[in-house]
Amino acid sequence: MLRLFGRIIVLLLVLAAVQLAAAPVGLRGLRPYLQPPRLQVNLGLDLQGGSHIVLEARQTPEVPVTREAVDAAMEVIRRRIDQLGVVEPTIQREGERRIIVELPGIEDPQRALRVIGQTALLEFVNTGAQSLPEGATWNEAGTEVTLPGPEKRTIPLKKEVVVTGADLADARAAFEQGQVSTGAPIVTFQFKGPGAKKFEEFTGSHIGQYLTIVLDNRVISSPVIQSRITGGSGQISGRFTLEEARELAVLLRAGALPVPVEVVERRTIGPSLGRDSLDLSLRAGAIAVILIIAFMIALYRIPGVLANAALLLYALFLFAALAALHATMTLPGIAAFIISVGMAIDANVLIFERIKEELRAGKTLRAGIQSGWERAWSAILDSNVTTLVGAAVLFVLGTGPIKGFATTLFIGVLISMFTAIVITRMLVDAVARPPLDRYLRFGL
Amino acid sequence: MRTWDIIGNRRWGYLLSLLVIVPGVLALATWGINFGIDFTGGTLLNLRLGEDTSLEQVRATLRPFGHEDAVIQKSADRPREVLVRTRPLDEEQTARLEAAFAREYGGAEVLRAERVGPTIGRELRQRAVQAVVIGLILQVIYITVRFRSLRFALAADIALVHDLLVVVGIFALTRREVDSSFVAVLLTVVGYSINDTVVILDRIRENVNLRLREPFDRLVNRSMLEVLVRSLTTGFGAIVALVLMYFFGGPTLRDFVFGLGLGVVTGTYSSLFVASPILVEWQRLSERRQRRPAEAAEGAAVPELAAVGGSPLPARRRRSRRRR
Repeated sequence: MLRLFGRIIVLLLVLAAVQLAAAPVGLRGLRPYLQPPRLQVNLGLDLQGGSHIVLEARQTPEVPVTREAVDAAMEVIRRRIDQLGVVEPTIQREGERRIIVELPGIEDPQRALRVIGQTALLEFVNTGAQSLPEGATWNEAGTEVTLPGPEKRTIPLKKEVVVTGADLADARAAFEQGQVSTGAPIVTFQFKGPGAKKFEEFTGSHIGQYLTIVLDNRVISSPVIQSRITGGSGQISGRFTLEEARELAVLLRAGALPVPVEVVERRTIGPSLGRDSLDLSLRAGAIAVILIIAFMIALYRIPGVLANAALLLYALFLFAALAALHATMTLPGIAAFIISVGMAIDANVLIFERIKEELRAGKTLRAGIQSGWERAWSAILDSNVTTLVGAAVLFVLGTGPIKGFATTLFIGVLISMFTAIVITRMLVDAVARPPLDRYLRFGL
Repeated sequence: MRTWDIIGNRRWGYLLSLLVIVPGVLALATWGINFGIDFTGGTLLNLRLGEDTSLEQVRATLRPFGHEDAVIQKSADRPREVLVRTRPLDEEQTARLEAAFAREYGGAEVLRAERVGPTIGRELRQRAVQAVVIGLILQVIYITVRFRSLRFALAADIALVHDLLVVVGIFALTRREVDSSFVAVLLTVVGYSINDTVVILDRIRENVNLRLREPFDRLVNRSMLEVLVRSLTTGFGAIVALVLMYFFGGPTLRDFVFGLGLGVVTGTYSSLFVASPILVEWQRLSERRQRRPAEAAEGAAVPELAAVGGSPLPARRRRSRRRR
């Protein structure tokens, strides 16, 4: 009765695992339908290609790095990435001041980096009668300007900010139009209500003076105010290429970063290398698994076949667990998978060797199986727990790929204990009765 | 079954261990570890070029950019691929470098482009050491609790340090580049080594609990032989799988697999020739210490016979040799 109950539970577990891991049944509303099974595990950047970027917030005199500032920066970065049209990016914070951005399958990682890492603080500065050339830069304190050119001449000039990018409602890339149309790429913008009002008042009272447009302390252009600008819309014409104009528009729409960030780490894996790695590691994994299966059958015959069946269930359960946890499969993850396969097999080798000893000592088959499992248990438990301890430490202290390794190893070892001990036992017990029991010799 | 006297021949084991570890430690002390950019910080560019090239040509391409000290790698079976390691470059510099390669060799596909800041590298190194040390300590605590014996835990741990020294030493000797996945290699070696040792210790524990009147060194030897088939089966299976992966798993996995293979070999070896002999040595030491007051009082060697049981003469000879 108890045994039947156990078998039903395992059967249900297997069905649930198949659904989780490969999703052969889909749901349309509430109506189920069959679909071709597909492995439901996400591939990591190292297997599908993409960029992994670590940003660190930098302390400035005006803005201290706080949790809130970094959270706000993450929000801005998320908006910018959405604008770039990256599918399924992940953005996480790490520790106090770091942000990890993962962009799968991205085609132009350098453009993405330019867009993500820029502070993008746009300022409209009142420079009075002074026109500044493109490329002139303000110092951090906003007290003097360094002019472009080899001699790097500086002039004292206070940065009197009229409005900033924070007041913008929208920004778009466009082409210059008008009587003397050059067709050059420009960025048009639209202020929000209060910003529009401020802009209108200022331009109305400063006609004939220069309103310098500054991005991250660097002058883009320094136009003269011709007339009062009403309605809060305007345009920036620097010497943009179309792509630069588009990037600037993206940055202005997403807003400026509240703290400047610095790229401290970036890894880009090209799509072809990712595919290569995936193919090669799958091949290596397949070879290892086939070899292990052959090895077990050669050593233990029928019990070896049963252990292999448990092993296949193990693989199924592992993929189901990874899918359920939304974990990603990475190269180190595949290594961890193979290691945990090894541990599952080792548990069965331990048990079977023990049964052989018991049988040699003259026990009956049933008694041998019983005490084989009982006596091998402590060794399996101790060796698995020590591995779990190691995996847990790696999970806590590791980052990125090491964390992926640790996750897969931890889950893998837990599941392998279950399949190698419970499932193999169930299968062996099912065979260990006449007339099948004469096949159970454990290679003796 | 034939009985092998592993414990009796343990000195040969110590010698073999020293023969591997001493050169490794020397290499570690003189050359150090060949850290990759994960640990040092720097830029790595892995490109697939439009045409075959030579190391000299690549060096010539890099020269105008001031990368004379860059490390360039090419593998013989992929002549169009080149791997350049140099100091940290920003995005623009990297882009200019890529463009130069594309111009000179008829196209350059970026397979991998990595930049690691120096602070990140330093942090990773600290964390790696931290992870290994904390992992070791927790595992010792677990074994101490489970076996109710610090002695077992320390024996397993010395075997473990032995294995780590072997793997790190051989990586230093062969000048293999060490990247962040090496931390995973080390921890797996730790796992395998402990696993294999625990299986033997488990059998020793079981046999000790049977309370047969058997000298401890004989008991240890017997326990090892009882689980030897399992140790070798598992170890052999793992090695065959790893060897195949080494040759068919592609170059990205190669160093990883090499490290794991070393770990399996030394992990299996150290359970037999390091951990178990240490238990025996320890047992002898503590027996002698218990005896010493008695010896002083009675001035006789009689209790020794009862305590060691097996062969008092060789034990004595060894003791006097060490005193010299």
